[in-house]
Amino acid sequence: MPKLWVLRGIKKGILTTKFPKRPPAPDEVPPSSAPPTPTEASDWDKGESLCPTGAIQASRKKVDLGACVYCRRCASANFAFAAGDDRGPASLRASLAEDGRAEKETLEDLERRWKTFRRSLHILMIDVGSCNACNLEVLNLSNPYYDLTRLGIFFTNSPKHADALVVVGALNKDMVDVLKRTYESMPHPKVVISTGACAISGGVFRDAESFVSPIRDALPVDVLIPGCPPSPIQILQGLLLGLGKLQSGRESNAAEVAKD
Amino acid sequence: MIPRYVERRHVEEAGGSIQVASVFHAGSDTYTILTDTDANKTIISDLPTRLGEEFSILLKGGEASPGVPTELDIGTKVEGYGVFTFPYGPVTWGVPEAGGFKLVTYGERVIKVVPHVNFKKRGVEKSAVGSRPEDALLLVERSAGNFSASYSTCFVTAVENALRLEVPSQARWTRAVAIELERIYNHLYVFGRLAEAATQNVANTQTNALRERVLRLNARFFGHRYLFGINRIGGVTSNLSKDQRKELRNSVELLTKEFGELVQYFLSSRVFLDRLQNTARLQKEDALALGAVGPCARGSGVTWDDRLTYPIEPYGDVFVNIETDAGGDTMARTMVRINEIQTSTIVLRELLDRMPSDGIGPPGEAANSSRTSDPEDFSFCRIESPSGDLIEVVQLDEKGRVSNLHIRPASLVNWLPFAKSLENNVFTDFQFAFESFGLCYADSDR
Repeated sequence: MPKLWVLRGIKKGILTTKFPKRPPAPDEVPPSSAPPTPTEASDWDKGESLCPTGAIQASRKKVDLGACVYCRRCASANFAFAAGDDRGPASLRASLAEDGRAEKETLEDLERRWKTFRRSLHILMIDVGSCNACNLEVLNLSNPYYDLTRLGIFFTNSPKHADALVVVGALNKDMVDVLKRTYESMPHPKVVISTGACAISGGVFRDAESFVSPIRDALPVDVLIPGCPPSPIQILQGLLLGLGKLQSGRESNAAEVAKD
Repeated sequence: MIPRYVERRHVEEAGGSIQVASVFHAGSDTYTILTDTDANKTIISDLPTRLGEEFSILLKGGEASPGVPTELDIGTKVEGYGVFTFPYGPVTWGVPEAGGFKLVTYGERVIKVVPHVNFKKRGVEKSAVGSRPEDALLLVERSAGNFSASYSTCFVTAVENALRLEVPSQARWTRAVAIELERIYNHLYVFGRLAEAATQNVANTQTNALRERVLRLNARFFGHRYLFGINRIGGVTSNLSKDQRKELRNSVELLTKEFGELVQYFLSSRVFLDRLQNTARLQKEDALALGAVGPCARGSGVTWDDRLTYPIEPYGDVFVNIETDAGGDTMARTMVRINEIQTSTIVLRELLDRMPSDGIGPPGEAANSSRTSDPEDFSFCRIESPSGDLIEVVQLDEKGRVSNLHIRPASLVNWLPFAKSLENNVFTDFQFAFESFGLCYADSDR
């Protein structure tokens, strides 16, 4: 039997994505990850009235990707959705600071903290009120198509062993304490990654009774990964961006994600 | 003492095979949805029944408002020398969701399990009240991301029934295709998790690869990996052409054929089978009395599948085989899921081959703008989600806005059968029991 498995494995070939050495293949970028892009024909007022989460801000002529749930309603207000648009709009906190919401952390601090994890990063996922889609997409990173371990990133079971906290879901009343205690029990240095529209802005649950605040109001967040849910490639982009292993200038999209 | 769950004798008092499916409030009245498992019927009773009252107590945990974690405590209190209560969750990797358990153990044995739910209750039902059905749909499909197609189809069907909308057959058939794809990837997920729990890494990896392929098919043919946004009131958003249908059919057939071959190897591993066989046995009587639904009920020999017993179009037209297994243990539930993947493939083939081409419904939100329903009236729908029977009741006001929404997810009623089945098993069987029931906190904490 073991021989057979080896043969089967060889027959299957390599499934793993070439990302980040090459751009992701077309079938690794789901159509739903294409963000709304304003064009010259876009009707901003109509877009704002159609948008269920207030991601389209007509007054500032900005699309807040952190709030966008990719429902494509604004397509009828002439917002474009380019096929294969993989703008992994992950952004670093440093860029958020540039946006006027500077915290005590400086860029050097941020870099130094992330630099520690360059060769090996252990991540812990914590769910604070998600619909399970983001959880599954994070879990999917360990399947052979994405194979997280080849990049030196590993899942861990305990906050005591974790370097990075991947937070998914809209922060629920019940989970505020749990989240803070989990964060506190992680050893220094530590980083926080806010994953999905719900974690960044509350998404569709932002008006729900249970919703407390975006994650970055509760914890110092380092990386934001928008999407509903973000595709595994986008989550990878977010992790690699933090680690400084992503060469392309994806930070440029930071301003789009940053919400005031 | 008020019973905390519906006991067999209460079922017998009510007359044979009647089971309470859900209880909901519309206006000042309380209605009970009853299931007749012998006659395959759904009965809605407006009389306050004793069974209904007892069931409301069971559902109380599910109806609690956000901010109140609830322990679904059943049975007697266990105390004594050597009895140890082991709290588990809400931050664990064994359960990749926010939710917990209290395991009362005596040595290696688990005496009692208390599921700890509502850590992430988002209050979808409350939030939906007062919004237009299209906006409520966004919330409903994000109640449980992995059951999104079932949730949204159930909701839009109920709304369409309330508004008496004509929906093209192709749209309804497309929804069924999405539901079957969802069933396949969720069952693959459960099998992968079971393999992971038994450290069968090859099985886990291979199954995960297959699941990723289904997710990519979802993305390619429906535009979203988790099938968000496929439905709208009065239709669907993806128009599968003849070629696409053929392609999808062939891809799914190839995929499930591969899975069939893999299963042969996995199930020849004694190590794996040892963990599944005789683990967390749920007797048929308990399954009926506790109101288990879906693959866990079918794994205990209960013949109940909404696709047959509450067939919305197109399930009346296609052949669906109910997969049951009398074993009642984790193995039986796993076999039911493995067989259901094959059944779903057959259903998909038929759906895709015979799908009518009469359009996918009017674009935009034009379909329901002019129609209203009687505000006193409610409409409901049942869908067999991957974890079991899902019920949604919708009431619309004069302006066509949602005035009442009631969701009875499958996981909510499966907690107690799960807790019951784990009694007197060893501690290390926990993961197998949990995964085989396909329980999902997002589902029960909607």
